[in-house]
Amino acid sequence: MDFTFAPEYVALRKMFREFAEEEVRPLAKTIDREHRVPHETLKKGAKIGLLGVPFPTKYGGMGAGETGYCIMMEEFGRVCTSTITNIGAHIGIGAMAIYLDGTEAQKNKYLTPLASGEKIAAFALTEPNAGSDAAAIRTRAVREGDSYFLDGSKIYITNGPIADIVSVFAVTDPSLGARGGVTAFIVETNWEGFKVGTLENKMGIRGSSTSELIFDNLRVPQENILGQTGLGFITAMKTLDLGRVSLGAGCLGGAQAALEAAMQWAKARNQFGASIAAKQSIQWMVADIACEIEALRSLVYRTAWMADSGQPFSREAAMCKLYGSEVASRTINKALQIHGSLGYSRDHPIERAWRDARISEIFEGTNEIQRTVIASELFKEIGVRVRS
Amino acid sequence: MKIVVAMKQVLDPRGFTVNRKAEKIFVNREEWITNPADLCALEAALALKDKLGAEVVVLSGGPARAGDALRDAWARGADRAIHLSDKAFSTADGCVAARILAKAIDKVGAVDLVVCGDRALDTGAGEVGPRLAEALGWPQVLGALDVSVQDGHAHAVKPDGAGYAELEVGLPALVTLAAGANQPRYPHGGRIMESYRQYQPEAWTAPDLGLSEDELKPLVDQRGQSFPPERQRGTLLDSPEELVRLLKRNRVI
Amino acid sequence: MDFALTEEQQMFRDMFRSFAQKEIAKVAEHADKTEQVPPELLSKAAEQGMLGALVPDNFGGAALDPISYALLMEEIGRACLSTAVVVACHTSLVTQAVLDFGSDAQKKYWLPMLASGQSIGAFALTEPDAGSDTHSLATRARRTDDGNVLNGVKTWVTNAGIAGVFLVVASSDPRANGRGLSAFLVEKDTPGLKVGQRDLTLGLRGASVHTVYLDNVHVPEANRLGAEGDGQAMVEHVLAHYRLALAAAGLGLGAAAVEAGVKFAAERIQFGGPIANKQAIQNYIADSSAQVEALRYLVYHTAWQAEQGSHLASGAMYAKLFAAQATRFVTDKMVQVHGGYGYIEDYPIARLYRNARSLDLLGGTGELMRVGIAINLFKSQQLEISP
Repeated sequence: MDFTFAPEYVALRKMFREFAEEEVRPLAKTIDREHRVPHETLKKGAKIGLLGVPFPTKYGGMGAGETGYCIMMEEFGRVCTSTITNIGAHIGIGAMAIYLDGTEAQKNKYLTPLASGEKIAAFALTEPNAGSDAAAIRTRAVREGDSYFLDGSKIYITNGPIADIVSVFAVTDPSLGARGGVTAFIVETNWEGFKVGTLENKMGIRGSSTSELIFDNLRVPQENILGQTGLGFITAMKTLDLGRVSLGAGCLGGAQAALEAAMQWAKARNQFGASIAAKQSIQWMVADIACEIEALRSLVYRTAWMADSGQPFSREAAMCKLYGSEVASRTINKALQIHGSLGYSRDHPIERAWRDARISEIFEGTNEIQRTVIASELFKEIGVRVRS
Repeated sequence: MKIVVAMKQVLDPRGFTVNRKAEKIFVNREEWITNPADLCALEAALALKDKLGAEVVVLSGGPARAGDALRDAWARGADRAIHLSDKAFSTADGCVAARILAKAIDKVGAVDLVVCGDRALDTGAGEVGPRLAEALGWPQVLGALDVSVQDGHAHAVKPDGAGYAELEVGLPALVTLAAGANQPRYPHGGRIMESYRQYQPEAWTAPDLGLSEDELKPLVDQRGQSFPPERQRGTLLDSPEELVRLLKRNRVI
Repeated sequence: MDFALTEEQQMFRDMFRSFAQKEIAKVAEHADKTEQVPPELLSKAAEQGMLGALVPDNFGGAALDPISYALLMEEIGRACLSTAVVVACHTSLVTQAVLDFGSDAQKKYWLPMLASGQSIGAFALTEPDAGSDTHSLATRARRTDDGNVLNGVKTWVTNAGIAGVFLVVASSDPRANGRGLSAFLVEKDTPGLKVGQRDLTLGLRGASVHTVYLDNVHVPEANRLGAEGDGQAMVEHVLAHYRLALAAAGLGLGAAAVEAGVKFAAERIQFGGPIANKQAIQNYIADSSAQVEALRYLVYHTAWQAEQGSHLASGAMYAKLFAAQATRFVTDKMVQVHGGYGYIEDYPIARLYRNARSLDLLGGTGELMRVGIAINLFKSQQLEISP
């Protein structure tokens, strides 16, 4: 077992870190305050391949696989959760669905401009009455000749307001439900019948844009069916699996950065005649956080390796998301406490990190769903079929 | 047009702390980076490549880890990256380094411009550039902030007192760039991947360069290292009244 | 043991709840968005006697007993934690200090103004280098012929932007290591007192918290509260009251969060039925409810101890420590019950989550509470421990 990263990943990480420090960090506070997407940063990143990290070079990607993508999410996650949310929705699920289940023609047409960052992607599954119960989606796709007409709406779609291409999941056969009745479509947002709805006012990740998407008799040509007709749910689940690993990596970065900040503060802050790093309460927090981060680090990169080497990794992916999001929340909460009142001030990055971290336990499949997935996989291995 | 960039690695200063009291340097995290001024030199060369279609050749000495710096240079856009790699080079001082580089530049052949950083973060000596220019017999401009090429001449801008001086030298010439002269571009991620998976820097040894043992003997013999004496710090005063009291006490007023 | 509220306390509770739900709850979101508790709301609360909750009626106050005051704080906290903190700081820190350490003349002068809300009290203790460690206080109070001169910087001064009077704790003898602290009442427009920049915060956005500068502020001797050197004891005394008030407000917030979670879980349909059918959701709600129940009895028991005349300091530390932990747990779980809706500011739970986080910092961090509790426990073993 070789636990070291290959030198190209070490070099890649160096570049990601530099970009994160020079380009992402300076805008982190601003985009949160102004509630806007850092388009300028995404454009700069696109120029050096950051919007296509995992995709093969033949589609204009960087060819760095899930491992390289996780490294970027970790490095950027150290600095700005909003930015990794924007990138994550674009690469991790939006474009990823097309990469996993698109035809060669679809990949050439859509994946290539997405990998180069020329176009932005989004992933539209969730609906008002289909959150964790994704099978309950109602957006309808009715076939007419060589087209499908979509009607319905999606909510809480990251990149909704800025996407050019959206992977949309709709019901093609209501009688079959999730098993055979849902189809994935590649939708271009400038088509007639596509509308961006309400922009959500979120507690955190305010540097990313989340909105409703409305489809009103939206015509989609049949060559834009993604994957197999009726098997859209499988496409969705496969895509979300990969998204979960990289989300875990983003949480890892956020947790690590919070630990470093808390330690620097503990070193500098003098009370009771010494730096507070001398206090066992502080030391215990630091030690506990560090253990969790180490465990998460191993979990994330082993899972990325499993994905890159073609092994099944669904269960581990759910663990990455579940454990990563909870470690980040716990860590950042402790780090805020170490900062004292300063951590409650909007002038301090840890305050923003605290608000930003909370979403990770909810989106991309709530942690309740992750636990359901993990438990049912584990019980399956001993012959017990459990249902949510 | 052919440009040679000479670079070396230095220890990342963010990875070590200096303890004055103990007169020790603690390396908490050993990480090697390309000398910042050299990166600026590379950036200047790449900018000239973008503008004039020049060929950029990067040279670097150092142990095996220099391969990372060379690959990084290639990923940023250099056409060739050559490792001057030989055990006999490890004792090189500034004079010997210049000698090695001069031979390498001869071997590259038909070079119009050599750019390198004006000084290294670790030694701060700034001697390789001028020594190299002398060894080549070329004109030199040191500490430039910008270099451009026109009609067989290099134009350089450098700080001069409170302002700037513009210099013009005939090619071939050597120009050293100051750290911070420009903002080095990011290497494209795909090129970083390729730089390890597909590319292999070239390697030249002492025999390849035709250097004898004598030519590689350093001029300077380092006998020891010590910290400079502690600077006397002043006292921070709380108020004007305290200043007056102090001046009175010392019979200044 | 009779755990029932008296008839009068039940009446107070109903009155407080009615007012809070009718007047305070409806502006809670607005207060958070605009970062201000509406002045009209404070006036209305003053009219109800809430700003003079503990002041004897001969000074225009409502003369509430400690349990009724806790009921008041619970109901305000249930509606809006920002408002609760504004009231608690004014009442439990500033007004309480005047009540328990003021001379007759001072009480006569200050209490009616504080009780009527004509003057809101702000509390200036914390400094850049003196957070948990109040021994490091650097604001100096120097005696002059006609009074005192104060110099220093105070941070995290709650109510600073709306205050008519500041209770400032200063050091008259820095070498006395915490035993040389004195407290002064400084009126708003006193020359040299400047309310500086505001601290924009994660939660409690309706509370006005600022840095305050004291630049050669002349304070007459008549405005010294208590004797010279009484400062430390006064601070400990009023902080105990404040901590209990915060715990009671936290109780209200926690109860509101559970209620919101129960309602949401009952209405949200997923997987063919309300999510209340899912055992995990049931567990979150049960555990949260248990935390709130435990907090309830801790708060009211501590309030009862105060009524009995017991030394409040210890009980108040338990109450606040636990309130911080319980409300953090509860609001976190209730956000999770709400799923994506729990992250959208259009729903109250996100605000409750942000607000609850303050309780582990305000009035002394949880770490400080633990130290205080440990010190008290080890005293019984004749062992003196220090932070």
